Amino acid sequence: MKALLNWLDHRTGYKLLVHEALNEPIPGGARWRYITGSMLTFTFIVQVITGFALWTAYSPSTQTAWESVYYIQHQMSCGWLVRGIHHFAAQAMMILLGLHFLQIVWDGAYRAPREVNFWLGLVLMQIVIGLSLTGYLLPWDQKGYYATKVATNIAGSTPLIGQQIQQIAQGGSAYGHHTLTRFFALHAGLLPALLTVFLALHVYVFRRHGITVPHSAEGKPVDTFWPKQVLYDAAGCLVTLGLVLYFTLTRSAELSAPADAGEDFPARPEWYFLFLFRFLEFPAISKMGVAFGAIYVPTALMIIVVLMPLVGKSQWGHYFNRAFLVAVLAAVAVLTGMTIIEDNHNESHQAKLAFAERDAHRIVVLAARDGIPQNGARELLVNDPLTQGPRLFARHCSSCHRYDGHDGTLQKIMKTVEENGEKKLIAEPATAADLKDFGNREWITRVLTDYDSTFKPLENAGEKGQAILTGEMSSWCKDNQKALTDPANTESLKALVEFLTSQGGRTDLGTFDEKLVTEGKEIFKGGTLKSGTLSSSCVDCHAMKVAGESTPLSEGAGAGYPTLTGYAGRDWLKAFLRDPAHADFYGDKNTMMVFDDKRLSEKELDLLVNWMAGEYYLPPNAQHTK
Amino acid sequence: MANPSSESPPVVPHGSVAPRRGFISLLAVLAGGIAGLVPVAAGTLFFMDPILRKRKEAEVDLLRAGDISDLPADGTPVRVVLKSDIVDAWTVYRDRVIGSIYLRLMPNGQVLAFNDTCTHLGCKVDYQPAQKQFFCPCHQSAFELDGERKNLTPPRNMDSLEAEVKDGEVWVKYQNFQTATKDKKAI
Repeated sequence: MKALLNWLDHRTGYKLLVHEALNEPIPGGARWRYITGSMLTFTFIVQVITGFALWTAYSPSTQTAWESVYYIQHQMSCGWLVRGIHHFAAQAMMILLGLHFLQIVWDGAYRAPREVNFWLGLVLMQIVIGLSLTGYLLPWDQKGYYATKVATNIAGSTPLIGQQIQQIAQGGSAYGHHTLTRFFALHAGLLPALLTVFLALHVYVFRRHGITVPHSAEGKPVDTFWPKQVLYDAAGCLVTLGLVLYFTLTRSAELSAPADAGEDFPARPEWYFLFLFRFLEFPAISKMGVAFGAIYVPTALMIIVVLMPLVGKSQWGHYFNRAFLVAVLAAVAVLTGMTIIEDNHNESHQAKLAFAERDAHRIVVLAARDGIPQNGARELLVNDPLTQGPRLFARHCSSCHRYDGHDGTLQKIMKTVEENGEKKLIAEPATAADLKDFGNREWITRVLTDYDSTFKPLENAGEKGQAILTGEMSSWCKDNQKALTDPANTESLKALVEFLTSQGGRTDLGTFDEKLVTEGKEIFKGGTLKSGTLSSSCVDCHAMKVAGESTPLSEGAGAGYPTLTGYAGRDWLKAFLRDPAHADFYGDKNTMMVFDDKRLSEKELDLLVNWMAGEYYLPPNAQHTK
Repeated sequence: MANPSSESPPVVPHGSVAPRRGFISLLAVLAGGIAGLVPVAAGTLFFMDPILRKRKEAEVDLLRAGDISDLPADGTPVRVVLKSDIVDAWTVYRDRVIGSIYLRLMPNGQVLAFNDTCTHLGCKVDYQPAQKQFFCPCHQSAFELDGERKNLTPPRNMDSLEAEVKDGEVWVKYQNFQTATKDKKAI
């Protein structure tokens, strides 16, 4: 073995190289504060390894980028792990970059003769920021798409050549295939290559001048890099990796829904850019234009940083540099904290995030069921009632109705009012019923036993709304409330509800109890309860043709008395929405908006109705909650 | 290394602390080794995905290959393309061409079906009417009309496929096989 190594050494001289690498003198001995550079190098190597692995499975185009990342994350062996390491190591790199920078400036390691190396370090910093910006877009998910759009729009605000820069970055005037191919070429090709070259120069110049030793260590014995400092460095790397793995295991790398130019997203940049985001939001800053806050100010700060070695020649200059750095870091911390706190208290923002998260989960469920169509995964969401129903509800129904108190998309409906000359945001009261439970057993029970509270929002709907609340159905409920809620009639009420619910033909409400349905039908027809009778039976007013029977149970009392044939089922809902003023429904008493095919296309109607009637795919064992 | 002249204090000899130094070295190697190995292992396992991941064993369905009335009565081979749903990584393609085969109507009313992939190195085999043979343009493999090889270039005869005739329609169980081996092994 020794002979073989000697043979190799004769021909390569590797022993001298290893000796030089390991026996670098460390005056004053190994210190923990020297480890950040090695940790950064280690993290970069981790990124190269995991990045290459991801490269073997990533496909940069608008119809395949999200899809291939989904496949990496959810299907391929160790895909979640490799992507998680890459995702969180990238963030670790930003933190380490900050620590490294802090240590260099604090210890005055930029001073002569190390100025050039300081500047090389700044170049490396820009490259790392470039890597993080380009990498954020590659999954082509909503989050990366909208966050990166902000970044390229900022580039577009550059004076004189902004538009050209933006178009070159995007590969055209809008986002598309070439935005991805370009970002990918930068992210996996040019930037890592540049990083490698500048890192080599950085290390070379560093080795030339050696470590910057604090005064306290002067005169102390000189140690070598190997083994103690190597151990410190390795321990630092291991801790970094441990944290990266911890986050990978507990949070996993996020993948939001596929990018969709027509679907908004509560975009925020990655956390380490939040300070810039918040800075731009100050009215005083935004008033000055995007270029001021996003280009001029950062450039000015960067120029001060570049000049640090020159300013720091004197002791006072060095103190200035330290103070400047601390001030900037403090400002960054404060702005970041402000954004996080403000966002956490912003109910609307949180609702949007939660709703976007539903899409992110839903698309994975749909893709796992039957693969991704050729046109991309977005198509699965576009045709999914559970995804589109709430949006259609928000757009078309929520001006009057609510859904579990919100507009369908978890958003509270608010309005601004003036109170004592002050503008205040308050909840806009609904003017029609909350439809969350529409058509299920609870809904029908409530309509029968507590009509007025079910339709209470109609109070806010003016005269016509009041008319409904004082109408025949309302009086019927008041007359029969006592009988229906009588404990002796619990079973009868249950039967009547079961019968009515079963007529909608819904598949999301579990199996119907046939015995109860039959009993319920008799009550519906005859009005006879276990204890007592109803003031009038349902068939006296409502038309009903029982599912599966050829002759109608009743013809009803005509217009204004809604038919209960197939009540709350898909067909009933569709007919009702298209023309609620039809004789089968409210007739001339109608107050409901008419949704003809100009207002709501056939496809939209189907999506909305299928959502309301629970007609959509759910994975086995999933709870049926809309 | 740094310019040695500028450094004044000498490197301390470590003779007396050798055991401790050895322990530190061991720890350094261990820590560095683990930190380096984890990403390499994760990346390698990911890269090995094609042989590591268990895929659902797809059942080979019979595919409709045309009507028996379209096949010449004299047994002349006819090339037919087959369509099916296929999954390529994340994408599901519906009703897409998945390959082509030769069909021959035999005198007894049975249908012979051959995968038209050459068993040598996977080029497509052509039917040559003049020579009444299947011929591969890549390396001159040649086969009789019953699939038997005519020279020793291909390692085995043409790959026959299971075929059925139902109500005048030809149905074929389409499969591909490992090339360049003596044995016919479905892939």
